[in-house]
Amino acid sequence: MTAAAPLDYNAVPDEEFRREVRSFFETHYPQALRFLPRRVRMDEIRGWWNTLYEKGWIAPNWPREWGGMGLEAGKMVIFLEEMERHGVARPADQGITQVGPIIMKYGTPAQKDYYLPRTRSGEIIWCQGYSEPNAGSDLANLQTSAVLEDGFFVINGQKIWTTLAHDSTHIYLLVRTDRQVKKQKGISFLLVDLQTPGITIRPIRNIAGHEEFCEVFFDNVRVPRDTLVGELNDGWTVAKALLGFERLNIGSPRRPQYALMRLEMLARAKGLFEDVGFADRFIAIKLDLEDLASLYGRYVEQAKRGEPLGQDVSSLKIWAMEAWQRLTDLLLETGAEDGVIEGAHDIAGVELDFLSPFYYARPATIYGGSSEIQRNILAKYVLQLPS
Amino acid sequence: MSSEHAALLKDSVTDFVTRGTNIARVRALRGNPQEYDRALWGQMGELGWLGIAIPERYGGMGLGLAETAIVAEGLARALIPEPFTACAVLAATALAGADNEALKRDMLPAIASGALVPALAWQEQPGVLDSAHIKVRAVPFEGGYRLSGTKRYVSGAAGADVYVVAARSDAGVVLGCLDRAAAGVATDLEPLADGRHFGTIKLEDAVVPRERVAASGAAANAALTRAIDHATAIASAELYGVMSRALEMSVDYMKTRVQFGRPIGSFQALQHRAVDLYIQQQLASAVLNEGLHELDDTPAPDRRSALVSRMKARCSDAGVRIGRETIQIHGAIGFTDEYDAGLYLKRALVLAAWLGNAAQHRRRYAALALNAKR
Repeated sequence: MTAAAPLDYNAVPDEEFRREVRSFFETHYPQALRFLPRRVRMDEIRGWWNTLYEKGWIAPNWPREWGGMGLEAGKMVIFLEEMERHGVARPADQGITQVGPIIMKYGTPAQKDYYLPRTRSGEIIWCQGYSEPNAGSDLANLQTSAVLEDGFFVINGQKIWTTLAHDSTHIYLLVRTDRQVKKQKGISFLLVDLQTPGITIRPIRNIAGHEEFCEVFFDNVRVPRDTLVGELNDGWTVAKALLGFERLNIGSPRRPQYALMRLEMLARAKGLFEDVGFADRFIAIKLDLEDLASLYGRYVEQAKRGEPLGQDVSSLKIWAMEAWQRLTDLLLETGAEDGVIEGAHDIAGVELDFLSPFYYARPATIYGGSSEIQRNILAKYVLQLPS
Repeated sequence: MSSEHAALLKDSVTDFVTRGTNIARVRALRGNPQEYDRALWGQMGELGWLGIAIPERYGGMGLGLAETAIVAEGLARALIPEPFTACAVLAATALAGADNEALKRDMLPAIASGALVPALAWQEQPGVLDSAHIKVRAVPFEGGYRLSGTKRYVSGAAGADVYVVAARSDAGVVLGCLDRAAAGVATDLEPLADGRHFGTIKLEDAVVPRERVAASGAAANAALTRAIDHATAIASAELYGVMSRALEMSVDYMKTRVQFGRPIGSFQALQHRAVDLYIQQQLASAVLNEGLHELDDTPAPDRRSALVSRMKARCSDAGVRIGRETIQIHGAIGFTDEYDAGLYLKRALVLAAWLGNAAQHRRRYAALALNAKR
């Protein structure tokens, strides 16, 4: 806990808060890292993490008692909008956005006191150990096991698609602790130091050529029993307790704005708006994104009123990610032959990389619940169609 | 408007359509050159809805577009053929925005009560969204204007008593009122997919006396473009009502229709199809709500037109898509005239084409949004 009471940002008028955030980002965020069409690596972004930490802004969503900004939904939206407006990259922030809030809700006092300050300072960097080779969309099918022996969990198995594991110090894991019950019932949630003997991390190169996600292997890894968060075999509930807010943010209309802006600049430079065929397609996508902003705005209002977000918020993710992909498809097509040449191009005075945004948008319909899983959710819980 | 007030208005519309209309009545009026039921129209007048866009000092309710949209959406869900948007929004807003006070005091209260049914005859070519194309001549003489030429696509013409005609004089656009039965005015009705009609109005030296000129020049053009924009927004709300009911029908059918021993709604291919329609409906709803509330803050004309184009583009596309897919989800029964699915598709088709379809509105939006940045 911090000694001096930090500022209550919620008491600051919205526009003043927005100006302050914007000005801070513009002044301090490294120019070279703006609008990065890939996940930023920790060695690039450590300086910015420290800047935010010193300012007290590294954990905007955390309550002030744990050193966060304690932002309410409305202020949180402004903070994230300004990040996206300026092209501020998200570092390996799963500790801040995911496991931090989970520890606050389910952790023991000792876990809170140990992990939360270190997560904020960046001494501990977290990655998420959920997916496995045979547990992707069917996450509850996970097989990595943890067996209790003499007060230790002994972990064996493999995680995959673990984003930035090679930049992380710790992993939060879903493991199977009981094979005799229904698959969701026998899962536990553990906090594991990646230095523990028996852990091997192997980066996986993605189609964009970046090593952003990894495989993580566990071979008789022994961790103390106090790494367990929540009750034994109650890990599914712990993991599912994630804030509705993350689900809102994933549908933010600002993410595709940079690609849209570049496409518009390119189209003007090449005189493409004179081409009715191009102009019609461009404006259809632009409207898809503007209408997304209207839908997003409605959920933001709901969150601001303190109402929980329902399953219908899945439509936001589907539409946001699929519209983003349509946009990067058109950008690539507009580049014609240049579109498939790697790296940045100077086209009529506009500097453009066609392939990177295209690659960057590809996994958006896969991670965080694929578009197909989101449609299943809407069919079942919102349209209440039979199974 | 408070949400409580909105809920009350919505309830009264639901109550009205439950008691005042049903699908058999809608079917019976298909292709009828009278097109609608004057008695029901009178009841809508008593409820105040025909004067919803008319200021209180002229006997109307003077409410905003958000309220008007609630009425339009509810009436459209029931597929009523009565031309609420064409008369109570398009024609009434054009007149209310005009500057001939005596004429407004004379006509607007009668329109609000339902005693006088107006239709706005502004369009002459397909696919236009504003007054620039108007060629019908208004030739001045000492007593007023003589109008000659042909107006087309006049919604609500079938049962109208009076036309508010937009014509062109040397001084710009003239809005003049002509009785349907006046000399030099001939009305042809063109049958529409949904059983209603567009009027084609041939004018030959039809006389608009000076006192029946509603507005001329810049005032006439401003009143006309505002009326077209407002009616386009409300037609979008009608589309939302139609698509919402059609989607409900489809989802209900998927829950009850059994094939291969299971409800067809359990098949993932159909589930995902229905979800995509739901997403379109949600987008339409979000754009409508945002747009209607901003329109009620009276934005500048270019901003107003851009907003309206966003609304009409999304609602037209979503409405027609949901209409088409409603047929597909129902299978062969959906293609029969006896089943109601086709009625929803046809109303969506007509509403989508009227006052500019999605493609036209996207282009207008492009012109407004991209030019604004230059």
